[in-house]
Amino acid sequence: MSDLLRSLDPGTPSDPRSYVERAEIDASLRGPVLLFFCSGIAWLLLGSLLGTLAAFKMSFPHLLDSADWLTFGRVRPAHLNIMIYGWASSVGIGVGIWLMARLCRVALRHRGLLMGAGVVWNLGVLIGTVGILAGQSRSIEWLEFPGWATPVLFLGYALIGVWGVIMFRFRRPGHVYVSQWYLLAAFLWFPWLYATANTLLIWQPVQGSVVGAVNWWYGHNVLGLWFTPIGLASAYYMIPKVIGRPIHSYYLSILGFWSLAFFYSWNGMHHLIGGPFPAWMISASVVASIMMFIPVLTVAINHHSTMRGHFHYLKWSPTLRFTVVGAMTYTLVSLQGSLMAIPSLNNLTHFTDYTIGHAHLGLYGFFTMTMFGAMYYIVPRLVGWEWPSATMIRWHFWLATSGIAIMVASLTLGGFLQGLELNDPEVLDFLSSVRVVAPFRFIRACSGILLSAAHLVFAVLFIRMLLRHGVRQVGPALFSAPEKPGDLPAV
Amino acid sequence: MSDDTPPPDPKAFADPPQPEEIDLSRTHGSILREHNEPAEGRESVPLWLVGLIMALVFWGGLYLAYYSGGFRADAFLPRKDMTGGGDDLRDPSMLGKRVFMQSCVLCHQADGLGIPRVYPPLAGSEWVLGNEWRGDNHLVAIVLRGLQGPVEVRGTVFNNAMPGWARLRDDEVAAVLSYIRSEWGNTGAPISAEFVKTVREQTAQRETPWSPGELQAIARTVAPPPTPEPTVSPAAPSVAPEGVIQKARR
Amino acid sequence: MNRLPLLFVGILLVFSTSWIGLVAYPYLNLGHLAPGTSSDGLVPPPMTASAIAGEHVYAANGCIYCHSQQVRPAWLSTDIQKGLGPRQTVARDYIRQSPTFLGTMRSGPDLSNIALRQPLPGWHYQHLYEPDMVTAGSIMPSFRFLFRVQPVQGQPSLEAVTVRGPHAPPSGYEVVPTQDARDLVAYLLSLKHDYPLPEAPEPPKAKK
Repeated sequence: MSDLLRSLDPGTPSDPRSYVERAEIDASLRGPVLLFFCSGIAWLLLGSLLGTLAAFKMSFPHLLDSADWLTFGRVRPAHLNIMIYGWASSVGIGVGIWLMARLCRVALRHRGLLMGAGVVWNLGVLIGTVGILAGQSRSIEWLEFPGWATPVLFLGYALIGVWGVIMFRFRRPGHVYVSQWYLLAAFLWFPWLYATANTLLIWQPVQGSVVGAVNWWYGHNVLGLWFTPIGLASAYYMIPKVIGRPIHSYYLSILGFWSLAFFYSWNGMHHLIGGPFPAWMISASVVASIMMFIPVLTVAINHHSTMRGHFHYLKWSPTLRFTVVGAMTYTLVSLQGSLMAIPSLNNLTHFTDYTIGHAHLGLYGFFTMTMFGAMYYIVPRLVGWEWPSATMIRWHFWLATSGIAIMVASLTLGGFLQGLELNDPEVLDFLSSVRVVAPFRFIRACSGILLSAAHLVFAVLFIRMLLRHGVRQVGPALFSAPEKPGDLPAV
Repeated sequence: MSDDTPPPDPKAFADPPQPEEIDLSRTHGSILREHNEPAEGRESVPLWLVGLIMALVFWGGLYLAYYSGGFRADAFLPRKDMTGGGDDLRDPSMLGKRVFMQSCVLCHQADGLGIPRVYPPLAGSEWVLGNEWRGDNHLVAIVLRGLQGPVEVRGTVFNNAMPGWARLRDDEVAAVLSYIRSEWGNTGAPISAEFVKTVREQTAQRETPWSPGELQAIARTVAPPPTPEPTVSPAAPSVAPEGVIQKARR
Repeated sequence: MNRLPLLFVGILLVFSTSWIGLVAYPYLNLGHLAPGTSSDGLVPPPMTASAIAGEHVYAANGCIYCHSQQVRPAWLSTDIQKGLGPRQTVARDYIRQSPTFLGTMRSGPDLSNIALRQPLPGWHYQHLYEPDMVTAGSIMPSFRFLFRVQPVQGQPSLEAVTVRGPHAPPSGYEVVPTQDARDLVAYLLSLKHDYPLPEAPEPPKAKK
């Protein structure tokens, strides 16, 4: 208990042993976490390029249309899978391992094995992507990698997941923090999801419409029980850590965690409302989707109450700004998602670009932005160098934020209009739904350029960090200088 | 909440040095300026949130009880009384265009001009409007059973195949033919569902698409003008003198 | 919440509820459906070998990212009124497909009953080769790579695709489908659900 009490009072100067401990932990993590970050950023760049290309192909269908490997139907799933498994999972694993190690206060041992796992993981993503472009996609959404690539990914993951659980097992005695629950859960849920989905959809395929049920049980749960817990774990760590205050309520943390675990996993069928399934399956998912108000509001109250009185930190801290934007977007996109599951509203948004906007708001606006925030915190501690250019961080933030805002706005409005045309029985020409959304699709494609530019800036900045480029700085790179000259925020 | 955790692994952090012995000069500033690792406060769950949760659980239970089709695997309707979705409120006078836009448009195109040398036009087509040997019955027969082989339309020869659409109802065939006869500058007489029914019965044995020669061998007939629709209130269907029930005007 | 065993069991137990409810139980109930019978034979009818091969071409080229294959019920949507099919699709309609291509987007039309709306293979070949040749304003990409441009050997091939516009072959050449294109079109021409099934709700009767 004394650890807990001491840690509740940030005014108490930390025992210098804890600094040494943290430095040792960070040093032990340097190789693996940087490997995951590097590979993640490389996939982010390639994925952004493919995504932008796919978007422009919708506006200009004859763009690069001779080559079979560049047809829209292959580029689009390649983009999706690179972003999920190449970018988001890699960087999520890197952040997750660092958080788990720090919170368990355990240095990583046998890091070569974890790095090997990272190499295997990336190999799996590479051969899977090549497989999709070569015409071996399974066309099962979120699981398009051909059947010969998925075991590679699974092997890579098995090594990683085991490490996360072992780290938890050998943690230092003391209070287990909320982020640790989320990370432990994510490390356990993902292999179960991946194994079930691959078994029932690829290796021993099930019959008929059950494929759809398993597909979207998997797809939605990768978002909700793999990425969301990692994103929330990061937000739950970064927010109180940077501002030096405890999280508002332990009881809200518990409520949020277990209600997320229970309700989120039942949501999958809301991707298939109106589909060829018994009514009870769809109703169960509609109910679970509305019940998601509970964990989402709980987490929002917890984060907001913690931040209250400290929003001015957002002026300075890149970590906090990216993380809080991500956390607020989590609330927004989840509430949007709950509403989209109401059948009468779903009728309008289903099959339209509105859904694409929602997906990007979640995976980019919440998860990616939160991961950027985490990386801005973690990398200096691994490399022993400060970010060399606050200007570049500023460019990264504004390009990314404006890019995602424009993308989501254009897809949401365009998708809504598209839905009106698709559902109007007096509209007899299918192409009217295509024409009405066309200008919005073009705007969305242009936003892809903004996002790609943001990622390029970040990649350059990251490389400069690895090379320890620039003048040795004292103090963190901040968006702006704090008001009191001696006030160095703990970013 | 108990701290009943496993005993610390002695190798995890063996023999920690005493605070006075620690040299932090080589520890990076980013670590030195950190706050302690985060912890959780003890605020209670707000009462309104508890109330909301209870309300949501109550609603969820009702929804599941009401809309789950009895949890049967063969119940694709949430409730048995949710079949039809209400009256069909679509404008009945648009039936012809609706049928056209579902299938015919794919080949004959929305402007009725077809695709040059591939799919024949309907605008100004003698097959649509009728001429010396082509009658209304030939047009209905083409739609019902199909047409293939070299066909001359407006001076151009087309060599393609048109499938038959016998799966359409009589009123749908009549509506779509009346539509193409009055669109794109065409001015042909509309065709009635009864006439379609007659031609359907006459050509019932036909299983393959016609060739133009086979059609030419059939005598030309013209559809009787449809009985003008009487103006009555929407509720009561009217009975025309021939005893055929007419479509009530809405 | 400090003990690993408690957390571990709780995490897996809570998750298992959805694994049982949305995966295992539906698999038991819906994973082994048998076709029905009608006067024309089994419903849904078995697919030809070419159509089954065509499913792989459909999957390889990502058709699902623009085309759905599900007709939603009349109480929820206007799919039936829009002519997507004579009734809503139910689980048994998909037992021949592996995997099922339910899709989640309608950037292009729903294809559940495309064989009813367009039964001509020739149109499908043209549409795949150059979509905007037969559908002005279409944003569907070209699938010219599913075809071969070859010199005309004496008589034009029976399979030659009539192509107009900028990608028409030079004179003396013709466009013929590869086996992939034939298989894909065979698959598309198998897409129709106009047979009744006892569990499929009756569509609303049209007003006359």
